[in-house]
Amino acid sequence: MSKKWWSAGSAVTLAGGLLAGCGGTGDDVNPAADTASNGQASASEQTQAGGGQPASKVKIVFGQGADQTDGTKKLVEAFEAKHPEIDVDVREFPNDSTQMHDQLVTILGGKSPELDVVNLDVVWPAEFAQAGFLLPLDRYIQNDGLDLSQYLEGGVNAGNYNGQQWALPRYNNSGLLYYRTDLVKEVPKTWDELLKQAEELKGKGGTQYGYVSQGKQYEGLTVGFTELVGAYGGTILDENGRSAVNSPEALKGLKKLIEIYTSPAVPSNINTFTEKETLNAFIEGRAVFARHWPALYAQANDPSKSKVVGKVGIAPLPAGDARSAAALGGWLGAISKYSEHPKEAWEFLKFLVSEEGEKIIAVNSTQTPTYLKLFDDAEVQQASPLFASRDFVNGLKSAVPRAITPDYAKISGLIQVEVSKAIAGQQTPEQALANLEKQIDQNAAK
Amino acid sequence: MRFRQRIRTANWTAYAMVLPAVLIIAVIAVWPLIRTFWISMYDLRLNDPARNELNVSYGINAEKYANSMPLLLSLLNKEAEAASGKSHTELRELADRLARADAGLREDAALQTRLDRINALLDDFKPVPADMQNIHIDKTGAERMRSELSGIGQSLQTLKEQGALSRADEAIGLAKAVQQSFTVPNFVGFGHYARLLSEPRLWEALDHTALFTAIAVALEMLAGLLIALLMNRAFRGRGLVRAAVLIPWATPTAVSAMIWHFLYDGQNGIVAKLFAEIGLIPDMGALLSTRAWALFAVVLADVWKTAPFVALLLLAGLQTISASLYEAAQMDGASRWKQFVHVTVPMLKPTFFVALLFRTLDAFRVFDLIYVLTGGGPANSTESISIYAYKTMFAELDFGAGSALSVIVFACVLLISIVYVKLLGGEVLSRRIG
Repeated sequence: MSKKWWSAGSAVTLAGGLLAGCGGTGDDVNPAADTASNGQASASEQTQAGGGQPASKVKIVFGQGADQTDGTKKLVEAFEAKHPEIDVDVREFPNDSTQMHDQLVTILGGKSPELDVVNLDVVWPAEFAQAGFLLPLDRYIQNDGLDLSQYLEGGVNAGNYNGQQWALPRYNNSGLLYYRTDLVKEVPKTWDELLKQAEELKGKGGTQYGYVSQGKQYEGLTVGFTELVGAYGGTILDENGRSAVNSPEALKGLKKLIEIYTSPAVPSNINTFTEKETLNAFIEGRAVFARHWPALYAQANDPSKSKVVGKVGIAPLPAGDARSAAALGGWLGAISKYSEHPKEAWEFLKFLVSEEGEKIIAVNSTQTPTYLKLFDDAEVQQASPLFASRDFVNGLKSAVPRAITPDYAKISGLIQVEVSKAIAGQQTPEQALANLEKQIDQNAAK
Repeated sequence: MRFRQRIRTANWTAYAMVLPAVLIIAVIAVWPLIRTFWISMYDLRLNDPARNELNVSYGINAEKYANSMPLLLSLLNKEAEAASGKSHTELRELADRLARADAGLREDAALQTRLDRINALLDDFKPVPADMQNIHIDKTGAERMRSELSGIGQSLQTLKEQGALSRADEAIGLAKAVQQSFTVPNFVGFGHYARLLSEPRLWEALDHTALFTAIAVALEMLAGLLIALLMNRAFRGRGLVRAAVLIPWATPTAVSAMIWHFLYDGQNGIVAKLFAEIGLIPDMGALLSTRAWALFAVVLADVWKTAPFVALLLLAGLQTISASLYEAAQMDGASRWKQFVHVTVPMLKPTFFVALLFRTLDAFRVFDLIYVLTGGGPANSTESISIYAYKTMFAELDFGAGSALSVIVFACVLLISIVYVKLLGGEVLSRRIG
């Protein structure tokens, strides 16, 4: 509440100071109806204070994980240059996506208007949409003639729930296999080959581990499980949101996952590894192979941090019986339902996913664009060799989405517990999948 | 008669004087508790629009309805036009069925005006006020609409399988969305408790919590007592030591947990390296990656943090013991050990029990340390009851079950307090009187 009063107060001061002497009636930026509930009180005050001025500034807040590059800064500058009437404030969230999720849910669950545009992990839109946290975008997409077929399909689908579009893809990525070019002669094509090579090459060239991946009991474990299950032809949920996880294919995938995580090729404490530990182990030259996201590439070739500059190779994730399945990752932009400036928020979101906006992020932050034409852009191709690689782009198109369900957080939590117990040997893989199926269906039936 | 009245007046005055205190307690302590208990009787899920409020009656979320129904109608009409033959008639029929249901609902004039106003607001990028969103409708109407819509959804599913729809997923999704705009009563009574108590996860969490509490509190009380006895002696720089000892306690738990996380790190952690060198742990990576060592790591960090707090409480207790008692004991020829057993221990007992009670209740609710260090892993083996409640409430947004877990935590804490006060408090009290 105090924050709200403060922002209303500052808006009054700002408008008073900057716009003294201006007159006229122009666009009323956000004429919140007088009938609005108390929650909108500050909005109407802001409007009264700054409203009616053609150059009145509207401040919108954009929430996303902390950006270590200057991509976001440049993005906001470019937007503000185009829209001088809109002021964008970036609010940074933790990079741990589980923590960001919980904070966003607290803010939006409390119906707080403090955020206007939010960055969503690829697995959140269904949940947020169902919870009513987001503004459905279909009307505006239609009115402004946005062509979603120009975007990566998996990303667009991730933002679609119950037939409506709730979020637009900003950048997408998929899991990749990193390897040391100075140690690996032939890139492994299957998980079995990977494991064999990892065990053989462990210890060569100053390494300690053959393979590192994300094995901690957190979202990363769900990703790893999804990839292995997908590689052996299984899925987690069927089309109707019921469990499909207790299948022979999924069992094969889980068994392979357990075999990998209990092999001597991985660190004994693989169950404490998140992306951060994986990255450290690889760029310090301790691991032969690593499973990570595209973002590792730039850091592994940064001489100030990395000991393996120039020795980094990338390949699609190994295949199982069925195929190579990399989990689709990435982030989408959406508008908070409780935003007091949805119109300006939409302008900003449109810019985020525009060719120009995505290019800024691709070039400055090496995030993979979702606007497909950008892969032909010379500047983008220069930013990272990944973007120029047809294999990578095709791999991205065939990446497997994690289950699209409003109960994702719940199901992911269940997967983490059961898979983690199976890896620790506290239950057999068969038991783990049977438990998982029971709990997922119990949850769906409620 | 008069006398009695005076007594009554006096009583009332006394009550009136106490009233503010009672009110404050009611507002800050009892009310949230009752509210939590009340919520735990509902199937309340923030991520499910049909269940995101405490509903005792049927209703409709007008905004959701306005956002999905027209889309579904126009989509069905489009599909019907595009289709041919049998599926054309079927789709036509479905669209008519839907239009009839919609019209039936809109016969309610108040609902119709509300929907019109909401539509106008939405087209204008204006937020729909919360008090406009929910409209009550009667049970029969709601049930009829819900069953009608689920029937339409099923027909669409069959049509999809026949390949008659060009935008099948959209249509099915929208039918689901319309169906979900109707809210149903979600009172479940003690359903959450019955389910939670029958599942092993709750008992495992209680088990971990109890084990952690027992080990950590025992070590803290011991370490705290030793530090307090040491600090109670006169030596140079005592003030400095007393201040320094407080540093772990003064550091926010989340921060100190991050520090310990670095120290325990399997690749670069100093503590992990040290423990591995002296042979305490099998290898550097063991600390946070197996059940026993993860528990050990969490307990160590907790002891480091809270032993100073216990020490400070006990030190305060030690300083209230009059020096004359020790002098008298010395005169009687008691040794140092006898002095400790017969003077210090009995005199320190009340303070000791207060510290014990504080620490037990605190340790039982352990959250931040485990959240940062292990997140409940590996294999869920360090998940405390508070972590479980947090995950249920804030990660899964299941507020009903989460509230039930909170109430269970409260019940445990209450039980511990009662046992302590009965067993230990009584003893302390009777000794004082005797």
